[in-house]
Amino acid sequence: MPRHRLMALLLSGLALAGPVRAEDIVIIAHPSVALTRSIGVGEVAAIYLLRTTVWPDGHPIVPVNREIASDLRRKFTTLVLRQDPGSLAAYWNEMHFRGKFPPLVQESEQSVLAFVERVPGAVGYVSGGIPLPADVHVVARVTVPDGWSPNNGGPP
Amino acid sequence: MIPAVRRRPPAARLTRALLASPLLASLALTAGLLLAAPAQAGIDDYQLGQGLELGPINLAGYSSVTAALPDQGHKSLAIDDLSLFISGHVTSLVNPFVEAELTGLDLTRWGGDGDRHRDGYVVLERVYNDIYLPDGFTLRAGKMLAPVGEWNQIHAAPLVLSTVRPAVTYRNFSEYATGLSVLYADPAAALPDIQVYWQPAEELSARPDSIVDNRYRLVQGAHVSVPLALLDKVGLSFQRSVDDQGTEQHLYGLDGHYTVDRLTLQGEWTYSTLSGPGTRTRSREWGGFLSPSYALDDQWSVYGWYEIYSGRLQDAAAQDLLGGVAYRPHPAMVFKLEYVQNVGGRPVNPTGLFASWSVLF
Repeated sequence: MPRHRLMALLLSGLALAGPVRAEDIVIIAHPSVALTRSIGVGEVAAIYLLRTTVWPDGHPIVPVNREIASDLRRKFTTLVLRQDPGSLAAYWNEMHFRGKFPPLVQESEQSVLAFVERVPGAVGYVSGGIPLPADVHVVARVTVPDGWSPNNGGPP
Repeated sequence: MIPAVRRRPPAARLTRALLASPLLASLALTAGLLLAAPAQAGIDDYQLGQGLELGPINLAGYSSVTAALPDQGHKSLAIDDLSLFISGHVTSLVNPFVEAELTGLDLTRWGGDGDRHRDGYVVLERVYNDIYLPDGFTLRAGKMLAPVGEWNQIHAAPLVLSTVRPAVTYRNFSEYATGLSVLYADPAAALPDIQVYWQPAEELSARPDSIVDNRYRLVQGAHVSVPLALLDKVGLSFQRSVDDQGTEQHLYGLDGHYTVDRLTLQGEWTYSTLSGPGTRTRSREWGGFLSPSYALDDQWSVYGWYEIYSGRLQDAAAQDLLGGVAYRPHPAMVFKLEYVQNVGGRPVNPTGLFASWSVLF
């Protein structure tokens, strides 16, 4: 990730300061991921859309996703990736054939936490209300609009 | 895919020709990486279509069983593709990819006369390593798919529109490049994706003469793709090649994919000039296909394409119409049923009914 992109991300409004609500999305990374700044929605999307594949130190990024039926995944897909699930599935299949790994699925928040804590380079997302292990890095927070749900929400 | 009019040779000759040392070496290298990889995830994490993650290694593949019922000639039920690809992301310098494929294995064959049961053959489709460079650049070395149009780059049966492949997506250019390539992908998708490539000598582990039209000993080119949305894009291709007869070819191509609500339009067009020695009846080659598809719901869709193709040996351009229906019970699994009708010229794809069941695993 180039330095100017990191700076742009810093300016994109996703500061880590401020209270986290249970309905928000918290982006976490493995303890070895050495970011000194938060990253923005656009950069998180670039990771999950497999356009950014290495951390600034050159280590491969291992993105983690939730299962298709997860409400949190629908929230993340809509608010962060800004894509519809069908197109996204087709896209990831294409990228997989091109040699990129689609995000690995973990079927609970605890599984995501455990995976991100264990696997170098891993990045994942959990709900704001989940207690986090002390050693994982919070790299971004996504504020979910009041009243938003997977059934009534759309790209803001 | 069905390369409908290409003959497939007996398995013994093909196996000897194709199980060459590069394939074995590649598989051995990958097996070594697998054994060395710490298990970070396992079978419990397997999801259909996403492969099996074993630490920094991913095992995946696809299969396609095809029924071909042309109006004339042989009918068959065949394993058209059984592909295994292994990719690794170890460090920014070590990102190997290997794909080997069993193709053209008849399960049963009937009708027609004078031809033989196809016993299948193994091909080394891709073997390369990627080095991730700063600012979205990647340096690739090895055997790769040549980025001419879109179909050739994602030609796995579960990913493409139809069972029968339009001729323009594979017939008139080098489908592979063995050498070096530089790729650029803007993380924000605001700038075009670019790939330039160069093959200075013979293709690595080339398929046998009996199933390829041309062998290339020099290939160089570029592809520029402008992203319009996640799957929508407009692409431009250029490829210069010299085949083993000495024919020099300059190809110019345009491809596009655009979605409006449930309707998707896609197509590819190429135009080539030919010079130097070699067998041909014309000095230009051209063709294109245009395809609409319509999603009836999340699982069912209807599709069609029209293609016109004028090859270097054809006295009149072939024209084909195709219509079909697809059922996709899972994003990585699709059943297709389609009918092709030749409407002009000497057929490239035969008139008839075709069906396939394909799975990305």
